Amino acid sequence: MLKMTGIRKVYRTDLVETHALDDVTLDVKAGEFVAVMGRSGSGKTTFLNVAGLLDTFDGGTYTLDGMDVSRLSDATMSRTRNEKIGFIFQSFNLIPDLDVFDNVDLPLRYRRMTAKERKERILSAVEKVGLSSRLHHLPSQLSGGQQQRVAIARVLAGDPRLILADEPTGNLDTLMAREVMELLLKINEQGATIVMVTHTPECAARAQRAIHLLDGRVVDGDSHFGHLRSVPTGALAAAI
Amino acid sequence: MALLGYDLFLARKSLRRNPGLTLLVVVGIALGIAVSTTFAAVRHAFQTDPIPEKSSMLHSVRLDSWDPAAPHPDRVGVPPQVTYRDMVEIMKSKIPVRQSGMFKTNLYVFPADKAQNPFEEMARVCYRDFFAMFGAPFAYGGTWDEKADGGEPVVVLSEPMNQKLFGGVNSVGKTVRLRDRDFKVVGVLAKWMPNLRFYDLTQNYIGEPENLYIPFGLLRPMELQLAGNNDGWGPNTGTGFEGYLASESTWIQMWVELPNAQAVAAYKSFLDAYATEQKKIGRFQRPLNNKVTPLLEYMADREVTPRAVKSLFAVSLLFLAVCAVNLIGLLLGKFLARSGETSVRRALGASRKDVFLQHLVECQLVSAVGGVVGVLLALGALSGINAWLKSQTGRGDLFALDLPMLLVALALTAGAGLVSGLYPAWRACQLAPAVHLRIG
Ligand SMILES: Nc1ncnc2c1ncn2[C@@H]1O[C@H](COP(=O)(O)OP(=O)(O)OP(=O)(O)O)[C@@H](O)[C@H]1O
Ligand SMILES: [Mg+2]
Repeated sequence: MLKMTGIRKVYRTDLVETHALDDVTLDVKAGEFVAVMGRSGSGKTTFLNVAGLLDTFDGGTYTLDGMDVSRLSDATMSRTRNEKIGFIFQSFNLIPDLDVFDNVDLPLRYRRMTAKERKERILSAVEKVGLSSRLHHLPSQLSGGQQQRVAIARVLAGDPRLILADEPTGNLDTLMAREVMELLLKINEQGATIVMVTHTPECAARAQRAIHLLDGRVVDGDSHFGHLRSVPTGALAAAI
Repeated sequence: MALLGYDLFLARKSLRRNPGLTLLVVVGIALGIAVSTTFAAVRHAFQTDPIPEKSSMLHSVRLDSWDPAAPHPDRVGVPPQVTYRDMVEIMKSKIPVRQSGMFKTNLYVFPADKAQNPFEEMARVCYRDFFAMFGAPFAYGGTWDEKADGGEPVVVLSEPMNQKLFGGVNSVGKTVRLRDRDFKVVGVLAKWMPNLRFYDLTQNYIGEPENLYIPFGLLRPMELQLAGNNDGWGPNTGTGFEGYLASESTWIQMWVELPNAQAVAAYKSFLDAYATEQKKIGRFQRPLNNKVTPLLEYMADREVTPRAVKSLFAVSLLFLAVCAVNLIGLLLGKFLARSGETSVRRALGASRKDVFLQHLVECQLVSAVGGVVGVLLALGALSGINAWLKSQTGRGDLFALDLPMLLVALALTAGAGLVSGLYPAWRACQLAPAVHLRIG
């Protein structure tokens, strides 16, 4: 599904060069649920941005769902994002003055679907996250957990093959975080590939495997949650 | 364009979210459109072809019979009118399919209805071809016959004059007293309101057409006095009215209808031959410079569109441009303030083009609202100018927003939307999706 070989990403400012991703090689199979861990600044968000075609990279090859994506036009890249990838962000990123319905509608609009099909998909997605009664609420009228569920509905409506989530539970309390995790697991069971950045070992433990980043490198490409559970992220990273 | 509906929906939301800013932009565009549309309409009134079906055939005739010592001060160096004696001679040409020399005079009108007071009225003294030449339509009767051109007391009334004298009924055959004799009505015009009195551009050409038309042949028997411009040189050799007619005074507008280029060329050589002939008797001492000018060209020669109108129009376009340019910053600020939202759209599948069009549609929507307000303001301004003009010339309907002017307003509005919106929309679509999604 997602195959990276020797991916590099360098941020240059006047003073410093940051190797945000340094020779990242990994292979996420279709249907997998992979957690990405690593301490702050280790390159997790950069990795998701590159994986999600939100940012370019400076070296290496990246094949997404069998398609080489190193040199795509903006239009193709946008269409690929729209059709194949769903994003879930730590800060939800809902549009504040659109209600739940119109927020979930957003990716479908760019897919040029008919009004009828969009409506069906929106209603069904909102129902799956249990917010049918809040269809015409604005984001500001919802709790954090509810907002994240709207964001998940927005992904579900698009029915993408790959879901990229950047600390989706980072802004939520334990109870709400658990709800969101349950939803993601269910979506994964139904076939979507999920790559999720997380800081919390509990969340990582629900994934099939975890990838660890340190200074832009993959330091443990294939650790199973069993190993992780007992070792805090920072300590593990320090040990290597 | 599949997203046009969605873009309009988003634009409406965005404009409502920020009513103060929206108002500012609308007012900016509205002022620019109001001013530029107003002056576009004013200019249009002067530049419209008054008789498109035959303006290319109607030619003004100018003869350089002027003072050998110095050219005529007119821009083209030739007097705009001809002398009486030259008119009489050149009217003998058979080349024009229609022709008329003409001037205007003031006459006292004595209504048949004794309850009405006599009043002074401007009359046009012309040949029978005048009406067909200049497209004046008849409601009743028609022009006088050829014999009457020689000086019979017959008259053609305008529609308002027939209304005033005869209550609007078919008055052909009735008589009306003009100055000292009874005139028989031979024709009544239907409503005729060309933009300008284009058949006489020598003076006060903004105004309604005259209300009375009488044969040129009455000039001598009635000793009709000129009410227009008289432009002459040299000593008046004769005396009295006849002396005036024989003088080098130019005071007659001369028009010919020439159907094609051959006719124009033939007529031109006819005039030159006439001038050469006149040189022998000591007249026309200047180099040959006779002009046969088609109507529209003649209008340009005469600078029918006042210079002030031209420059005001140019300045108004500049004003609109300044308004639009001023809005660039406002819109840019607004669009960049929601760069977070734009980045989310980009992440979820909006291409650069989608984002660009979304923002451009928003600019066009707000400028369309401004355009509508601007057109309403322009309507108000034009009716103000019309009222002022009526007080000056009696003509109160010269300036209007007709279809072509509404299209101009539409184009200006779209242009203003583009000028103010292109750069901000372009900046918005250049926003990288990743940067603004970065969290903690
Ligand atoms: N636009 C940028 N310009 C310069 N440097 C950048 C930019 N974005 C990220 N970086 C640097 O790249 C490195 C990786 O950043 P990244 O955001 O991927 O880390 P992260 O693992 O997501 O951290 P966190 O857990 O705090 O979210 C950091 O050193 C960061 O400072
Ligand atoms: Mg991050």
